Amino acid sequence: MNIDLKAHSSPLRSLDGRTKLTALAVIFILVLLFSHPVYIVALLAFVLVIWFIARLPSKMLKDLMNYFWMIAVIILVVQIFFYPGTTNLLKISKPLPAIGFSGFITLEGIAFGIAMVLRLVVIMIVAPLMVMTTPLPELMLALVKLKVPYRFAFIMTTALSLLPSIQNRASIIQQAQLCRGISYDSGGNFIGKLKASVSLMIPLILGAFRDSQTLEVAMNSRAFGAPIKRTFLLDSHFTTADFIIIAVSMVALIGGIVLRILGFGTY
Amino acid sequence: MTDSQQSEQSEKIEPVEQEAQQETQKENEIMTAAAPVRTYKAKGRVFGMSVAVLAIWAALYIVASAIPALPVPGMAGMITINAIMTAISGMVLGPAAAIANAAGGIVSMILFPYGFSAGPLGFLTVTMGGLVAGLLMANKWVLAAIAEVLIIGSWFINPQSWQTGMWLVPLPYSAIALLVIVIKPVRDWVRKSILTQNKVWMWPAVFLMCTVGHAAEFLTTNTMVNWMFNLSWQYWVPTLPYWILVDTVVILASSLVGVGVMIGLKKARLPLFTESLDK
Repeated sequence: MNIDLKAHSSPLRSLDGRTKLTALAVIFILVLLFSHPVYIVALLAFVLVIWFIARLPSKMLKDLMNYFWMIAVIILVVQIFFYPGTTNLLKISKPLPAIGFSGFITLEGIAFGIAMVLRLVVIMIVAPLMVMTTPLPELMLALVKLKVPYRFAFIMTTALSLLPSIQNRASIIQQAQLCRGISYDSGGNFIGKLKASVSLMIPLILGAFRDSQTLEVAMNSRAFGAPIKRTFLLDSHFTTADFIIIAVSMVALIGGIVLRILGFGTY
Repeated sequence: MTDSQQSEQSEKIEPVEQEAQQETQKENEIMTAAAPVRTYKAKGRVFGMSVAVLAIWAALYIVASAIPALPVPGMAGMITINAIMTAISGMVLGPAAAIANAAGGIVSMILFPYGFSAGPLGFLTVTMGGLVAGLLMANKWVLAAIAEVLIIGSWFINPQSWQTGMWLVPLPYSAIALLVIVIKPVRDWVRKSILTQNKVWMWPAVFLMCTVGHAAEFLTTNTMVNWMFNLSWQYWVPTLPYWILVDTVVILASSLVGVGVMIGLKKARLPLFTESLDK
């Protein structure tokens, strides 16, 4: 349960958090906008190029895919067998109207299935791409500068800074419960795991709530919410590279919307 | 003791008594004086809950996201303990649970993406879960019903959900959630049992409250996944019994934790949303 809050050293590290958030949003919108495999392959290729430019480890890609391969297979199978296509490629059986199967595997079904799987891959790797190259405090600063309410950003940053102490508390509780005979390694026994998680969660939540009172007193004594111009320990500024990337992102977004309106990018 | 000695002693005592009287007067003045007035608006609260508590909850949520609980074949890697946190958040924090869950959800989605099948918008699912249960707990049932209807409606807006049997998907828990929200005697009984911490009825009431929270989260996830990956009834309908099983397990676990947390918070006299309702 060790949480790594450090950002990887990367050429993308120097970009402003707002630039990365904008690029992330544009890629996310574009991948949802298109359903043609060629367009999504192009997007995926672009994201992968950025991934390697960012010098992020390819092992991370593999790890992410390990979590999602099952849903990818299911999406592919469902679309191949049940997507309503017109170009028959292979006859499998007689039509089975009860389960909505035409009896044929169609070109459209395969293409749409591949497109949906690629969409999943892009969606899953694009967020880590942005985040792994940005330290979380800078990301929070970017959110505040994007006019996300300060209290919301404060909750996120405070939660992040409290993580180590809560993790520490969780491990102390686990050790204490181990002394009482509660095992957290029940070897696949689901009921045992459930009991163990209950015995962890209740004292963890109660202890953390006790801490919140101290935090509240500290916040009040420092006049949290006073109407003063807030300054930040960290600061960020747009550079030429940021402006270029934002401009390219906007052009890509507008271009994508225009293509979609003209009827391109769908299958 | 001579008269002169007595007068000397009384002279010594008088100043001491005077000082004591002055101190008592000062203390009385302090006690009776008006409480210091804040010169700024109290911004340390969101929907009545302290920002500090919300930050703590968000941190707990992030830590819970790192604890895998249930492997889920065919969906995002696994269900983590954060599913329990979402289901009980409305009870503990009220409508502010939406804010705490959103903050925790955004950060944990970044740190542990395997718990979120809806990608960058995955935090919306836990936000809706906290919001609906929190609104119900705060007795803002009209808003809770509107949110729940919007969630169910967003499922049915997708043409994919007009296929055979797709109406069954939101039925098991979202329908129950909507009934709990809309039917006044049920709603009042659930709230009253939790507020008064009734020894007998608290368990089923917490179960229903967790059902409301979890149903909102779960259907929002399903809807987002359906919009993104265009899954047809051939996926949703056959897997429905499995999802009902997973939901039931999550809600049962949430009820166990939820009852313990609610009782513990009250016993320890810690900040509890329901206390603000008592007032």
